[in-house]
Amino acid sequence: MQESTSSFCNLGVLDALTDDSIQEILESYNGFCVTTQTLLGGAGDLSAGTEFVAHVHSLCKHGLESLVRDHFLRVLEEAFERNGASKFWRHFDAYSNFADLKRNDDVDINEDEIQQVLCNALEEISLEKQYQEKCLLILVHALQSYKDQMSGERHNFQAERDYLVSKYQLLVSSVLMATLPRHFPVILHWYFKTRLEELSTIMGEDFDDDASLNKDDMDLDEKGKVFNKVGEMDVDEYYSHSRFSENSRLVKNIGKVVLDLRSLGFTSMAEDAYASAIFLLLKAKVHNLAGDDFRSSVLQSIKSWIQAVPLQFLHALLVYLGNSVSYESTSSGLKSPLAPQSSVCCPGIDTPSEGLIRWKLRLEYFAYETLQDLRIAKLFEIIVDYPESSPAIKDLKLCLEYTGQHSKLVESFISALRYRLLTAGASTNDILHQYVSTIKALRTIDPAGVFLEAVGEPIRDYLRGRKDTIKCIVTMLTDGTSGSSSASGNPGDSLLEELNRDEEIRENDGVDDDFNTDDRQAWINASCWQPDPVEADSLKGSRNRRKVDILGMIVGIIGSKDQLVNEYRTMLAEKLLNKSDYDIDAEIRTVELLKIHFGESSLQKCEIMLNDLIDSKRTNSNIKATIKPPSQTSADTGDNAISMDLISATILSSNFWPPIQDEPLNLPGPVDQLLCDYAKRFSEIKTPRKLQWKKSLGTVKLELQFEDRAMQFTVAPVHASIIMQFQDQMSWTSKDLAAAIGVPVDVLNRRINFWISKGIIAESHGADSDHVYTLMENMVDPGKNGGSNGSPQELLGGDEEEERSVASVEDQLRKEMTVYEKFILGMLTNFGSMALDRIHNTLKMFCISDPAYDKSLQQLQSFLSGLVSEEKLEHRDGMYFLKK
Amino acid sequence: MATINGQTEAAQGNIAPATVAPAKQSLAPAKTVDSQSVLRRLQSELMALMMSGDSGISAFPEEDNIFCWKGTIIGSKDTVFEGTEYKLSLCFPNDYPFKPPKVKFETTCFHPNVDLHGNICLDILQDKWSSAYDVRTILLSIQSLLGEPNISSPLNTQAAQLWSNQEEYRKMVEKLYKPPSACA
Repeated sequence: MQESTSSFCNLGVLDALTDDSIQEILESYNGFCVTTQTLLGGAGDLSAGTEFVAHVHSLCKHGLESLVRDHFLRVLEEAFERNGASKFWRHFDAYSNFADLKRNDDVDINEDEIQQVLCNALEEISLEKQYQEKCLLILVHALQSYKDQMSGERHNFQAERDYLVSKYQLLVSSVLMATLPRHFPVILHWYFKTRLEELSTIMGEDFDDDASLNKDDMDLDEKGKVFNKVGEMDVDEYYSHSRFSENSRLVKNIGKVVLDLRSLGFTSMAEDAYASAIFLLLKAKVHNLAGDDFRSSVLQSIKSWIQAVPLQFLHALLVYLGNSVSYESTSSGLKSPLAPQSSVCCPGIDTPSEGLIRWKLRLEYFAYETLQDLRIAKLFEIIVDYPESSPAIKDLKLCLEYTGQHSKLVESFISALRYRLLTAGASTNDILHQYVSTIKALRTIDPAGVFLEAVGEPIRDYLRGRKDTIKCIVTMLTDGTSGSSSASGNPGDSLLEELNRDEEIRENDGVDDDFNTDDRQAWINASCWQPDPVEADSLKGSRNRRKVDILGMIVGIIGSKDQLVNEYRTMLAEKLLNKSDYDIDAEIRTVELLKIHFGESSLQKCEIMLNDLIDSKRTNSNIKATIKPPSQTSADTGDNAISMDLISATILSSNFWPPIQDEPLNLPGPVDQLLCDYAKRFSEIKTPRKLQWKKSLGTVKLELQFEDRAMQFTVAPVHASIIMQFQDQMSWTSKDLAAAIGVPVDVLNRRINFWISKGIIAESHGADSDHVYTLMENMVDPGKNGGSNGSPQELLGGDEEEERSVASVEDQLRKEMTVYEKFILGMLTNFGSMALDRIHNTLKMFCISDPAYDKSLQQLQSFLSGLVSEEKLEHRDGMYFLKK
Repeated sequence: MATINGQTEAAQGNIAPATVAPAKQSLAPAKTVDSQSVLRRLQSELMALMMSGDSGISAFPEEDNIFCWKGTIIGSKDTVFEGTEYKLSLCFPNDYPFKPPKVKFETTCFHPNVDLHGNICLDILQDKWSSAYDVRTILLSIQSLLGEPNISSPLNTQAAQLWSNQEEYRKMVEKLYKPPSACA
């Protein structure tokens, strides 16, 4: 067969062949085959070499060089397959189910054993390979020497050699690859992993020692220091450190394995294996270091660790490999990232090779990315404890600067928000606090506020749908430190502080603030407007021009500052009305701060309210001073008369206060008389003004004296009136009592629960399904009484809800909205159908008296869709119709 | 205790005599008519009309002119006009409310006191006008006029003659009635 092939190739030569030469060819061919077989047979016997050379020479003489080469390589391949590959793989047969085992995390594999097996197998196959290479060299020499003989001059020995060697390499790797068992990469991976872990524990200790040593300096100039340190360590490498020798032994072991693998053509597989092992190690380290602790920065220590452990290892490995790889890289032709540079050839000189730098970049990027992913996944928690977690935020910022994966943050955070915050279960206060923290935290990451915009949008949308949003915001704005509502949120991030802080900033750099209070400011801002910077340079520049304004963003939730101011006014009214002294310093301060932000004019009403209080104080003392003599005389006439000193009035300019809920109420005679006197005196001093008492408002401090005890209360006037009635008469039916006090029976029944719950009045059923209330002279356990009465606490709670002296903003809003609804229905009745814009414009034009239409197009739209869902309107093709 | 400082603003009510509208602002005294007070008067009439909730009558200013309104009247129950809807136009003069607005039917209305062009013969819109009337009272008057026409001085004699036969009249109304199109 061989012959026929060769003769096919050399037809011309075939004609010239004589019988002798045929004979010679056949003989030497047979001899060649036999010697080849002997050489490669696996006996390791090179003695047949000379005979082999002779046969090669004689075959070459007949121009059968290629035949020699092909045959030799074929036999070589067979031999390698038989002696090398199959034996090699047989070592790992025991671990054929390794891949599956790994997956189950079943770690009952003997580490040392597999390590040993791998090393042995590699050694054996390397020996085999070396031997075969030697044989190959014999062939090369034979061919070479023949050529030398023929031409008498030296041929390029190198080319021939390279050709055959590369052929052989190809042969080896293709044979191995073709027979590669599935579990081998896993084994490799596992091997590197265990080795590296071992190494990292050794080096980690080293690193920890160093870190503790250098701790003081590290803080000063960490980056440079670490670099220096690594530099020193590189130089130190050849000084024998007790630990280091162990290190280098380990590295050498690993290096040898890598080297062997490379020579077998597993270059990329080996690289993959140890790279993935390093990355796994790094990932574990990052997770370990970062964990769930957001209170310290971990980035620096991760970086130092990268320098200290994986880079050290890689450095050592590259140095070790450096000597032998030069031909490898040329023969493989592919430039792997590991391909060592020439500088490594002289390892004593310590300049970090390009490969090492590339590794460093890769590792750092990976570390940044891992940390970033870790932090982004936990961003919600991080922001929940924001002020404490700012180191984590800073880390995240650095990571994002490096990786540029801001969009990942935005997406993941928004979904976390949707899932965890924007649910019915979260209180509006918590949402607002989280929103404020989010603003603050993201401001650190992205001063330009581009991502904040995206993240804030869902929160804002959600908050707009909540009824108590405005109220909560105002509470946050005004309640600096305490208050019932801030119990759930941490007082640390009160918006009042923000008000203060912003004020300072405003004073410092007036023009740079983008919160425009007047038109001129707005114009200045508008004239220097520039488009948002592209993501890349959003972090530089523009920082001082575009400041993220927390208050502005909060107000943005509500839509207009007027609404906020209105809500504040209602709250302020409530607060002021419930004050028994005239101490309003805190309120004045808040109003002043709000004035800075929202402009003088919008808070004018609030100012007047405060002024009312101040005036009241003055007027009050004035009246008391002038009225003293008559009150003393009246005190003589009747023992029920009350001194004017006990009363202090708050005088309101009702036009500037929110609507006040007034209930009719008959006050006890003496008190009423007192109020009349007061009012008379007032009109004398302040003609032509007159006082109109809002008798149901205010507070009464009273003391109840019983046979066995005295009790003090601070209650609403209606409660005081009720209990006053029992002074003369121990028992009342609800009808009579209601008539005496001048309130409806149901209101009385509700109000009197207060006293029932205190155990002062007892309730029983009288005739005609009328309740009878009796004063309890003796102490009765209120709990016992409450038992018969259901739950007085709850009733009281319900009562308190009623007890607002000022119409709430929701009520006002509802009132406004009914007006708008009527207008909308009216215009649709007459115009048939209208588009949103037209309705909006028409409302703006004609709905201008109190309450003026001040809603945005979006608010109108949602209101209209509300009407549509109530089936009052229809919405078709962008037009609204009346539902018929 | 909290009190209201009841400032003695006697003028808090409406000065304009017997204005039905519960105007928020006090209206200007009668003689000095300026466009501002007319505007305010119309404004408050609109508010009053919107808030009154009278069924079957409605009116609203056209887009950019508060002096021109569109009105809607629905025929009252138990009259021949039951279930019909009529569009009107109301044009207010510059010296309103001292002069009555011009009111016309925009949809054809077969009625003794309404001519073929929609002009209405109604005393309060002519010589019996008083500034005490407002849009709401005008619309209510027209609505009641539908059910109780003044046969003695008809503009539409055919309708006046037919009025006595209510069944026939109803058929005529249905025949001539064109429901107003959706668009104004």
